[in-house]
Amino acid sequence: MKFLKGENVDRPPIFSGMGNVVKPVLDKHGIIFSKVHRDPELMAKAAGGMYKEFGFECAVVPFDLGVEAEALGSRMNYYDEVEGLLYPTVKEKRVTSADDLVIPKDLRNAGRIPVVVKAIKALRRDLGNHVAIGTYVLGPFTLAGQVKELDRLFEESFLEPEKTGKLLEKLSGFIVDVFKVYQEAGADYFTLREMGGTSDVMSPRSFKSLIKPHLTKILAEMPRPSILHICGDTNAIIADMAECGADAVSVDHKNCLAETRQKLGPKAIILGNFDPIKVLHKGAAKDVGPAVLDSLKGGANAVWPGCDLWPEVPKENMDALMSALIKV
Amino acid sequence: MKIVLIAGYLGSGKTTLIIALSKKLAGGGAKIAILVNDVGVVPVDGAVMQEYGLTVKDIGGGCICCQVAGNLMKTLDTLAANVRPDIVIIEPTGIAVPDAIRQTVALAARKNEVEMGHTIVLFDTSRAAKLLTYDTLKRLVSLQIRDATIIGLSKIDLVTAEEIEAASLAVREINPAAEVIGISTITGEGLLSLAGRIPDGAVAA
Repeated sequence: MKFLKGENVDRPPIFSGMGNVVKPVLDKHGIIFSKVHRDPELMAKAAGGMYKEFGFECAVVPFDLGVEAEALGSRMNYYDEVEGLLYPTVKEKRVTSADDLVIPKDLRNAGRIPVVVKAIKALRRDLGNHVAIGTYVLGPFTLAGQVKELDRLFEESFLEPEKTGKLLEKLSGFIVDVFKVYQEAGADYFTLREMGGTSDVMSPRSFKSLIKPHLTKILAEMPRPSILHICGDTNAIIADMAECGADAVSVDHKNCLAETRQKLGPKAIILGNFDPIKVLHKGAAKDVGPAVLDSLKGGANAVWPGCDLWPEVPKENMDALMSALIKV
Repeated sequence: MKIVLIAGYLGSGKTTLIIALSKKLAGGGAKIAILVNDVGVVPVDGAVMQEYGLTVKDIGGGCICCQVAGNLMKTLDTLAANVRPDIVIIEPTGIAVPDAIRQTVALAARKNEVEMGHTIVLFDTSRAAKLLTYDTLKRLVSLQIRDATIIGLSKIDLVTAEEIEAASLAVREINPAAEVIGISTITGEGLLSLAGRIPDGAVAA
């Protein structure tokens, strides 16, 4: 927490603000992945286990990207019948425009929001104040893509951006309120994840005109310390991301950190950006440390993955991640 | 297991083409699996699936992130272990950039006998002007075309020969290296030609 408040720390922390749950922890507690998203006790055990088993310096809930969409009426597929491990995805999207988006009156009991709330409280009971508890909520454009057909959303945002703007405005208020519920439950830091705003798909001009105003409004009202994360090619929009007002910006492996550091200056807190799939999940243990050190040399302030960890990270790669800083 | 990607902007005819191609390839004896964003939107009934031995799975579209990439990788692992299809046809969302999917397939290839085949990007000739005029739309469509090894000019039954030629010139300007094939799933034009290229096409992932 000292780190995110801009205070001096003895070394860069090793943590994340996005989904991080790994199989060794799930297996230790006999947790089935498809169940962990709906049971607060299992969720807390899996999140807290990252610190207890590996020393990863945070506990973050939830793990999937469907909590807010489900609270807004989308139907989820948890893949209960699938052997092995798949992240839940949205099965049915019911929203076509801002007019038929219904914001639940009682957020504390909407969808799985109470599951996350209970998990945060359980983590606090279990971990005390030794470990920072993080949580995340999707940004308005990404969330719009979880409640409205993605293709339709993009087409509308290209051709009738004012209609998309109305939807984003409505979602923005909801997002702030969800963050506040998590803050009340005891979360310490808050990541706003706007993956859909990436320049891989949206032009920097569209990001600036359509998405940035809503992110700015949300970040002004949501709890702090706050982190704004966007995946993909973000170098063209990194200055706009910083102007949105988060305490830190988070980027993935496609971002050139050196360029980002140059643009944002020495005081900005930049998080990222080693590749959690190519390096941590699929890579060799010997390559994890160098990838982490490259991020730090490039200008990142912490050891922080560029996205969610894929749960089947080999134990030796997690160990390599945790020992990477010994070489610093 | 050869992976063929059929991408293209919303409404370019991906799903219809995939069904038509799958039937042709399965009719030739190949075992086909189809990965789509949403099984519910694939207009294939159980009888057709059984007749042609098609396996259809969803890769859970929605937001763009590592979780979707991980799910795709895991689904390819499962297909390789349990179904062992000859060809897997992937239909991503209309806003997907093919290169990102190819990178995920390359990671799955480390564990399985997976070979990246053609990346077919469809370009709707009946909406050519719209797709390449609006600034924001043009950017995405161009990104998709740039990643193609074959560009399918779709819905050519709806346009004139001059319009096909103009569309062909426009896409070649973006990606001169790709092969360009005119396609109509209504008349069947181009389908045989396209299906013939799928089994042999091997491209570095």
